[in-house]
Amino acid sequence: MEVNTEIKSTRNMPNHLETTTLEGRNKVLGFWLFLAAETVLFACLFGTYLALRHQSMGGPESSELYDLSLIAVSTAILLTSSLTSVLAMAKMNQYKLKAMLTWLGITVLLGLSFLVLEIYEFVHYVHLGHTFMNSAFGSSFYALVGTHGAHVTFGIVWITTLMFQAAKQGITRETAPKLFVSSLYWHFIDVVWIFIFTLVYLLGKVG
Amino acid sequence: MGTLLVLIVFALFLVAIFTGGYNKDLKGLLEKSTVWDWLTTVDHKKIGILYFFSGIFYFVVGGIEALLIRMQLVVPQNDFIVGDTYNELMTMHGTTMIFLAAMPLIFGLMNVVVPLQIGARDVAFPFLNALGFWLFTFGAILVNLGWFFGNAPDAGWTSYVSLALNEYSPGPGIDYYVLGLQITGIGTMISAINFLVTIINMRAPGMSFLRMPLFTWTTFATSALLLFAMPPLAVGLLLLMFDRLFGANFFDYTMGGSSIIWQHLFWIFGHPEVYIVILPAFGIMSEVISTFSKKRLYGYTSMVFASVLISFLGFMVWVHHMFTVGLGPVSNSIFAVATMTIAVPTGIKVFNWLFTMWGGEIRFTTAMLFALGFIPTFVIGGMTGVMVALPPADFQYQDSYFLVAHFHYTLVGGVVMGLFAGAYYWWPKMFGKLLNETLGKIHFWSFLIGFHLTFFPQHFLGLFGMPRRVFTYQPNVGLENLNLISTIGTIGMAIGVLAFAANVVLSFVKKEKVPNDPWNARSLEWTIPSPPPAYNFVQTPLIRGYDAWWIEKQAGNKSMKPAEPIGPIHMPSSTFVPFLMSLSLFIAGLGFIARENFAAGILGLIMFFITMFVRSFDRNHGCHIEPEEFDQANKGVKA
Amino acid sequence: MVQQQNQSSRGRAVSDKANREMKYVISFIFMILLTAAAFYLVSTGAVAEHLILPLILILATIQVFLQLFTFMHLDQKGTAFYTIFIIAGIFFAAVCVVGIVLM
Repeated sequence: MEVNTEIKSTRNMPNHLETTTLEGRNKVLGFWLFLAAETVLFACLFGTYLALRHQSMGGPESSELYDLSLIAVSTAILLTSSLTSVLAMAKMNQYKLKAMLTWLGITVLLGLSFLVLEIYEFVHYVHLGHTFMNSAFGSSFYALVGTHGAHVTFGIVWITTLMFQAAKQGITRETAPKLFVSSLYWHFIDVVWIFIFTLVYLLGKVG
Repeated sequence: MGTLLVLIVFALFLVAIFTGGYNKDLKGLLEKSTVWDWLTTVDHKKIGILYFFSGIFYFVVGGIEALLIRMQLVVPQNDFIVGDTYNELMTMHGTTMIFLAAMPLIFGLMNVVVPLQIGARDVAFPFLNALGFWLFTFGAILVNLGWFFGNAPDAGWTSYVSLALNEYSPGPGIDYYVLGLQITGIGTMISAINFLVTIINMRAPGMSFLRMPLFTWTTFATSALLLFAMPPLAVGLLLLMFDRLFGANFFDYTMGGSSIIWQHLFWIFGHPEVYIVILPAFGIMSEVISTFSKKRLYGYTSMVFASVLISFLGFMVWVHHMFTVGLGPVSNSIFAVATMTIAVPTGIKVFNWLFTMWGGEIRFTTAMLFALGFIPTFVIGGMTGVMVALPPADFQYQDSYFLVAHFHYTLVGGVVMGLFAGAYYWWPKMFGKLLNETLGKIHFWSFLIGFHLTFFPQHFLGLFGMPRRVFTYQPNVGLENLNLISTIGTIGMAIGVLAFAANVVLSFVKKEKVPNDPWNARSLEWTIPSPPPAYNFVQTPLIRGYDAWWIEKQAGNKSMKPAEPIGPIHMPSSTFVPFLMSLSLFIAGLGFIARENFAAGILGLIMFFITMFVRSFDRNHGCHIEPEEFDQANKGVKA
Repeated sequence: MVQQQNQSSRGRAVSDKANREMKYVISFIFMILLTAAAFYLVSTGAVAEHLILPLILILATIQVFLQLFTFMHLDQKGTAFYTIFIIAGIFFAAVCVVGIVLM
C-alpha cells in the first residue's frame, strides 16, 4: 500500500490509476454504492413530485411556468460539463496534469453557469407566485430541483478543492481515486438532470 | 435558546481542548488517556464494542419505558401514566428499541466479527466506520434530548402525518425525532457502504463468496438492504422537516399535500428495516447452531440464496402495513401475495437449522439455548405474520394488540434472542473472557418464560378488541386477567436482563483468560487470540473451503496456512475528526430544533463542511507495525 | 482480485486512450441528439399526447445508459459489482416511484 509515492514518470504505470491501490479500489466501489443509494433518494423525491405536481392550489400551473428554451440551454451546459469531466479523467490517466486541470476548470465554470441559470429561474418563478410555501406543487418542485441544485453546488466546491490538491500534489495514487470519484459524482448529477428535464420540465409542458 | 447557548459554549470548550488551544500539557495528558483512545479509535473491534455497549444502554432505556407502559396497563382505568406522557413513552419505546438498541447491537457484532471472519485486518474505511458510530451516538442523544428540553416525540414510532405536523404536535418533540433520526440515518448509511466494500474487496485469499460464513453473508444482505432502504427514510424525514420548520406543504391536505406519501416513504424504509434487524440474527443462529451441533451447516448454499431472496422480497412488501389505507384491491392483493412469499425462504432457513441439529453432537451452552428458544418463538411470530398478511383478516387485526404480539414475537423472540445468543457466543472473542454459564442459564430461562408470559396473552387481548397505543381500557370486558398476566411476565424479562448485566460485570472482574477457540468452532475468528491484537492476523490466512478453521483442524493442523510472509503491517492512525464532524451535525440539529432563527443550525452545518474540507487535505496515512513489535505471545498462533 | 484490472499491455493501452476519447465525443453527440429529440417531441407536439411520456422516458433511459457505460466506464473490466449495485439501485428507484405515484 505505497500510497504516498509521487509518480514521476509515466513509464510502466498502470492504465487506471484510480484503482491501483486497495484504498483506491475501495473508494471507487464505495462511491458506486453511494450513487446507487442516491438513485433511490432521488427516486423518492421524483415520486413525491409526480404525485403532487397537479396540486398548485390556484397558483401558476407547470405548463404556464416552464420555459423550455431556458431548460434546453441548462441541459446543454450540463451535458457538455459531463463531457469535459470525462475528458479530464482521460487526461488524468495519461498523467497530463495541465490538460486535466484545464478540463476540470471548464467543468467547474459550466457547473457555475448552470447554477446561475437555475437561480435566475427560481427567482423568476417566485415573482410569478410559484414559491416553496404556497402549494404542495411548489414544495415538491423546489425539493426535487433544489436537491439537485445542492448537489451541483457541492460538486463545484468539491472539484475545485480537488483541483487545488492535484495542483499541489500532482496526479498520484492518492489524488487519482479522489478525482475519479468526483467525476463519477458529476456524471451522476447529469444523469439525474436527464430525468429532471424529462419528468419535470417536458412532462410539465405536456400537462 | 438559553440551553442551546450553554451547549454551544460547552462544545466550543471541547473543541478548544481537542485542538490544543487550551493548554499544551493538558493535551499531552489527554492524548495518553483511555477516554481519548476510545474517542479517537478507528479500530473495528473497539468501534464494535462501543456500538455494542451503546446498544445495551439504549436496550435498557427502552426496556424501562416498556416496564412503565406495562405498569400503566396492569389494571383497568389506571392513572399511573396517562395521556401525553404515555404517548411519549410508547413512541420512545418503539423508536429507541428499533433505531437505538437493535441497530447498534447488530452493528457492534458485525464490526467485531465480520473482518475477522473474512480474514481482513480492518474494515475498508476505518475513518468512516468511526464517523458512522459517532453520528449514531449524537443522533441518539438528540432523539432522547426531548425528555429534558421541551417534550419527547409523541406521534408513535411511525410518526404518521398529519398527527406529526405542527398543527397537532406543536412542541419540539417531533423535531427531535426528525433531526435525531436523520443524523443516525447518515451514520447507518455510511456503515452499510463500509460493510459492503469490506466484504467485496477485503476477503483473504481463497475466501470466495460461497466460502464466507453465514453471518458475513447476512451482514452483506443486510447492508445491501440498508443501502437502498435508508434513502426513503432520509427523504421522508427531510420532507417532514420542511413541513414542520420551513412551512412546506408535502403532507398538509389543505395545501394540496398528501399524507399517504409519508406512509409510503416510511414503510418503504420500515419494512426492509425489520429484515435488516432479523437477517443478522439469522446469521448468528446459523453460526451458533452449526458450532454447537458440531456439524457443517445443513444446506449452506440454500441458506445464502434464502438470505438474498429475503432481502429482495423484503423490499417488495411495504404496502402490507397500509392495507387499511384504501389503496384498492389490486395493490392489496399484489402485496399480500408478495408478503406470503417471504415465508418460503424463511421456512427454508428454519428447516436447515433443524437439519443441522439432526444427528449432531449438541452442546447446550447458553448461546445454543438462546438459538433453540429462538426457533419456535420466531416461527410463532412468522405464522401470525402470514395471518396478518391476508388483507381481509388484517382489517380485523390492524391496530390491535394482536399486531403488538406478532411483531414482538419476531423482534424480541427473533432479534433480541439472536443477539443474546451472539453475545454469549462472541463474548470471549470480544473481551477474552467467558460469560458465566449458570447465570447465563438463569438469564435464558427467566427471559424466555417472561417473554412468552408477556406477549402470548396479547394475541388474545387483540382478538378481544383491545386497541394498541391507547393508555387504558375498561373493566368488565374480559381484558383484566390477560393484562395482569402480561405485566407479570415483564418481571421475568427484567430478571433475565439483570442476570445478563450481572454476568457482564462478573466477566470483567474475573481474571481467567480464554484460549483462542473456546467453543471448538469452525470459522476464522477462532484462529486468533481472544481478544485479537490490533492487526488481527499476523499473516493473512489462506482459505481452503467453507468452515475454513474446521477444515484445518480436521487435517490435523494447529493453525491456518499463511498466504503471505511476515512483514510490517499497515494500520490507520486514530483521529478525532469523526467525533468533531458528528458534533457539528449535532449542533446543527439542535440549532434547527431551537427554531427562533436558524443561525446555530447553519453554523453547525458550516462547521461540518469545514472539518470535511480540512480532512480532505489531511495526508496522514497511518503507521506500520513492524514484525518485531508483534506480541511474543501471539507467535504460536499465526494466521 | 488484486490488480486484475491493470494487466493490459502498455502498447495497446496507448491506442485505447485515443480511441476512448473519440468514443466519449461520439457518445456526447448521441446524448445531445437524444435530448434534442425529446425537446422536439414536446415543443412541436409531433406525436399524440399519450405517446409522449413513454417516448421521452425511453429517450432518457437510453441516454442514462450511455452515460453509465461510456462516461462512467461501466463498459470496462472489473466493474461487475458497480453494475450490479447501480442496476439494483435503478430497479428499487423504479419500485419507489411506481409505488408512490400509482399505489
